[in-house]
Amino acid sequence: MLPRLRSLFRVLRARQSFEEGMSEELAFHLQQYTEELVRSGLSPQEAARRARMEFGGWNTVAEECREARGLGPWEDLQRDLRYGARLLRKTPGFTLTALLTVAICLGANLTIFSAIDSILLRPLPFPAAERLVTLYNTYPKAGVVRDGASITNYYERRGQLPALASLSIYRHGTAVVGEAEATEREETTQVSPEFFLTLGVGPAMGRTFAEEETTAGNNKVVIVSDAYWREHLQADPQVIGRQLRVDGRQKTVVGVLPPDFHFLSSAAQLYLPLATRPEDRAARLRHSGGNVTQMIARLQPEATVAQAQQQVEAQNQSLEADNPMGKLLADAGFRTVVSPLHADHVAGVRPVLLAMQAAAVGLLLIGAVNLLNLLFLRANARAKEVAVRQALGATWQHVAREVVVETGLLTVLGGALGLAVGAAGIRLLAALGTDRLPLGARMVFDLRLAAIALAGALLLGLLLAMPIAWFKLRSRLVSGMQGETRSGLSTRAAQRLRHSFVVAQIAMAMVLLAVSGLLGKSLERAMAVSPGFRPDHLLTGQIALPDNLYPDWPARLAFNQRVLDGIAQQPGMLAVGLANNIPFSGANGKSAATAKGERRAAGESPRGYDSYGVDGDYFTAMGLALRAGRFLSADDVRRDAHVCVVDEAFARQAWPAGSALGRKLFLGPTELDDAAGFTVVGVVGSVKQAGLTEDAGQGAIYTPYHLRTDPRLYVAVRTSLPPESFARVLQQAVRQADANAAVHDIRTMEDRIADSLVVRRSPAMVAGIFSAIALLLTGLGTYGVLAYAVTQRRQEIGVRMALGAAPEQIRGHFFGLTLRLLAVGTCLGLIGAVLAGKAIQAVLFQVAPLSFVILAGAAGVIGLVALVACLLPSMQAARVSPMEAFAER
Amino acid sequence: MDQTAELLPGTLDMLILKAVSLKPLHGYGVLLRIRQISGDALRIPQGSLYPALYRLEHQGLIAAEWGASENNRRAKYYTVTDAGRHRLEEETAGWNRLASAITAALNTQPEEV
Repeated sequence: MLPRLRSLFRVLRARQSFEEGMSEELAFHLQQYTEELVRSGLSPQEAARRARMEFGGWNTVAEECREARGLGPWEDLQRDLRYGARLLRKTPGFTLTALLTVAICLGANLTIFSAIDSILLRPLPFPAAERLVTLYNTYPKAGVVRDGASITNYYERRGQLPALASLSIYRHGTAVVGEAEATEREETTQVSPEFFLTLGVGPAMGRTFAEEETTAGNNKVVIVSDAYWREHLQADPQVIGRQLRVDGRQKTVVGVLPPDFHFLSSAAQLYLPLATRPEDRAARLRHSGGNVTQMIARLQPEATVAQAQQQVEAQNQSLEADNPMGKLLADAGFRTVVSPLHADHVAGVRPVLLAMQAAAVGLLLIGAVNLLNLLFLRANARAKEVAVRQALGATWQHVAREVVVETGLLTVLGGALGLAVGAAGIRLLAALGTDRLPLGARMVFDLRLAAIALAGALLLGLLLAMPIAWFKLRSRLVSGMQGETRSGLSTRAAQRLRHSFVVAQIAMAMVLLAVSGLLGKSLERAMAVSPGFRPDHLLTGQIALPDNLYPDWPARLAFNQRVLDGIAQQPGMLAVGLANNIPFSGANGKSAATAKGERRAAGESPRGYDSYGVDGDYFTAMGLALRAGRFLSADDVRRDAHVCVVDEAFARQAWPAGSALGRKLFLGPTELDDAAGFTVVGVVGSVKQAGLTEDAGQGAIYTPYHLRTDPRLYVAVRTSLPPESFARVLQQAVRQADANAAVHDIRTMEDRIADSLVVRRSPAMVAGIFSAIALLLTGLGTYGVLAYAVTQRRQEIGVRMALGAAPEQIRGHFFGLTLRLLAVGTCLGLIGAVLAGKAIQAVLFQVAPLSFVILAGAAGVIGLVALVACLLPSMQAARVSPMEAFAER
Repeated sequence: MDQTAELLPGTLDMLILKAVSLKPLHGYGVLLRIRQISGDALRIPQGSLYPALYRLEHQGLIAAEWGASENNRRAKYYTVTDAGRHRLEEETAGWNRLASAITAALNTQPEEV
């Protein structure tokens, strides 16, 4: 791009200096001549007049000089552009159709590409970001695919794996920041000291964390984001050393991050040291990551992911060699995966995005075929003109260049319009929730995208121009001069070509329709899945509680009680419960549990279960179904009763025969003393935790809140009023329970479920929009070809009618033609649809990639569109009057 | 009585080449020199001089360079290139052949037929 611009700039500069030089030279001539005339005795005025007269018109001379110097390639292009623009202006209908086709198709591609670019292509904003990796533990046979890393892992691994230049852990969370009564909840990330070193981007001001600040009690420091510094700290240049109250504790600001610091999709405003006590780093906690803490690392310049993988596995092996639980771990399929950070972060959306881009390219192909068709018709209409010009000495380069310039002009102008379409499309994508996809917030419409789009438009123009130029040159002179006005292209080959265009369009539109049908059906199926509880009239939120004010369980339970009581008094409230996790919270860590007397087959691993510590009327508030026994109550919590409720999936798995009531289970992978066991007092229906499409029957255990040793706190309120209207009440009630507490992430459960479907909904809607455009384009294309065929064959039709053919026969002929094209196109489309269905199988939910209903539906819709498109031309054909048709000759 | 002659088509280029081959000249100088060496007999339409100069320059037969004129003003000076000199020789030879043939033809007396 830049060298091109520079060369254009040089040409423009050269041209300017040429003009200046010429003016100066001509002026010099006039002056010299005038002086000579004055010397010969004329008055100065008379001399000037004579000189100008003999010289001739200045402009004429200047123009002749310019011509004499010869045209540069730039001026050639300008002339061709002017010519092309004139031709396009002469046929506004064609030009508008072509421009809109290009604009819509390129705009659609630009939209999807902007998502691909921001999410998949653009490297993470760190130096040598390709060397960043993540390490996570997996226990696939225990049903735990991803467990993050534990504190122990961190202390055991750092400095021990030679392939890694640095290694670090982080943990997302929230904190209540500010003085009492004026607190705000902020997202935070706790990090180990090497975190910023690993990323390669440090604070713009101040320092990173020191090693000693990771000791619990010694972590009274905070690094703030640039945005937080500007909004809450008045962009104070002396901010280092200022105090900030975080979760009720004074912390010293030691650093401010640079403005463009973005770690993956995190919106954290505060970075805190991930402080732990020595006992948190013990070997027995090695496998208690719980997917809360994540590990990142930077590879050594020469090291590969495979080397790091091998080293971490070797270390795992030596560490677990004398572990009594080694057998259990092996049975669970435990290993540690090293994966490139960027790819790992976006792995979930990658196939969807690629499928969308493929659909957009399909749309572009349909549009391009339409355009090609229109351009052929146009070239045909001008065949004679081209022939004459070639006879007059236009070279083939000349003709080809003109075609390229004209087509390029069309596609680049269309591409410019496409920028607007793309910009609107990107907004639409954001409205569909794409900005909540991993890295989706990076999606912007910038100069770079615009340049790529325009380059794409230019390329499209070149590709379209090639067959047109070839056709123009092939059908030159002889055929063009001898034939009738329309005969330039009306060979059988040309007709076949046009028909194959229609077939190709029908096939591609069919594929798009089938894909959007599959995605739509998947979405419908996913939405129809019951979450296992009643999501209506349910308001949920997470409560942030400064943990230093609540160091022990009695204090926390007292707070819980205040919240429950406060909310219970509110009008419109039906039931309120608290829990350390709720479905669709986004936190999906699993825990191991063991039923008493459970016999595991050799090699079978203890499974991971969803596990909830609950308080208040959690089950009633959520609307869970009671299958047997009773729910847990606030009373169980206050009594410190070792009782629990399990869901049917767990009950079925642990006690396939007989009732689960009265049985005992243990939290953890092994049986313990009976005193540590929990007695099952109830069985409830299963719920979906991570999403509606997760596997059925994950299993869940509900214990009294404080016995789950997980201090997170969610609140669920069932209301008789619209739940949104309860948000303020909820906030006030929590504030009243403690002025330092705050509720955040307040959303109705229906919103949470809808949000969890973003990855399905956006592609289904995008595919739907694409299919609609594809249908429109196919209809237009079919109409164009048939209408052209009718005008071209007017005389033939006239002869037939004169010989006694009925209008129905003529109409039938064109209908028959459409049906034949439709049949071939649909067959090809079926093949394509099956292949496309197989390709997107991974993102389908409860829909077979080969769905008869969807394929039949797609064929039906495309058939309808094609037949409607052929209606008008065939009627016109049937109305041809033999006399008029002959009179045209 | 007008003693000037109209230029034949195609001869202006030849004259320009000749003029600048004697000495580097600016445009106006070319005009004066042609007038001078043709003994004031050839009148060049001033408007067609510059397109001719530009054409010759574009063809690489003459080269142009900015310099100072006799009265110390900026002017564009033309010199003949090697290609130009070569072309001039060819054209001169061609012209001489043509001229002598035409002269001979026009001087033919009735008795010679």
